[in-house]
Amino acid sequence: MTVDIIENREEWEAAYNGGWLKHFNETGETKWDIYKRPDNKTQPSGTGIDPATAKLLLVTSAGSYLKATQEPFDAANKLGDYTIRRYPTDTPFEALAYAHDHYDHAAVNADPQVLIPLQHLRDMVADGKIGELAPEAVSFMGYQPDAARVADETAPEIVAVAKALQVTAVLLVPS
Amino acid sequence: MGLVSRALENAGIPATLTSWNAGRTRVTAPSRATFTKLGRGATLGNPGDGAQQRRVLEATLELLKEDAPVEIVRLDESVPE
Repeated sequence: MTVDIIENREEWEAAYNGGWLKHFNETGETKWDIYKRPDNKTQPSGTGIDPATAKLLLVTSAGSYLKATQEPFDAANKLGDYTIRRYPTDTPFEALAYAHDHYDHAAVNADPQVLIPLQHLRDMVADGKIGELAPEAVSFMGYQPDAARVADETAPEIVAVAKALQVTAVLLVPS
Repeated sequence: MGLVSRALENAGIPATLTSWNAGRTRVTAPSRATFTKLGRGATLGNPGDGAQQRRVLEATLELLKEDAPVEIVRLDESVPE
């Protein structure tokens, strides 16, 4: 059974546009006590797969990007950034930087695998626990107050990447 | 991430996630999820604790074996005292 990405979307949009966003546009303040989160009730249905036979895509919202060749995310934008970055899964951690102002980077700087477990996943492939790792990982910056834009922009773009890479399962690691 | 999970599952691609923030994730109703008591910015485990990170990963990937919807699984993983 497929589901709406945001249940009662019209209600959510009215609350967001008429509340949090309106206040931000008028004052420049991000007022979280008036922010309405989605309130989904129904989980989607789908067929499972044994990870040992799966081609797995890693998606992280760490805001990671290739510091030498990719544009950083717009971390300072109080309205969020809804774009994604793709980089090879054999990228050395030293080649990554993080553009995300809404979490402390101390842990990921000390040990990137807390959010980007590429070496663990490669080890699990070697151990036979995962069939195959997709050749690329996907990253986005997880500060995204506009859930409708996540549904309309970020999520479809990630689905398109998953299809293009012909993966059969996805691991999502929020920051 | 829960919203992305829903889009993937709608497209026929099984998705699983782990979250330290049960409250925010639960209201998105993802297809498969584990919840921990880890912290923001260290979702899979504490820095340098590869064994903990692997436990969280393996438990989260294990959910892929089941047809969704899958009941949320709470993991006894937290930050050090």
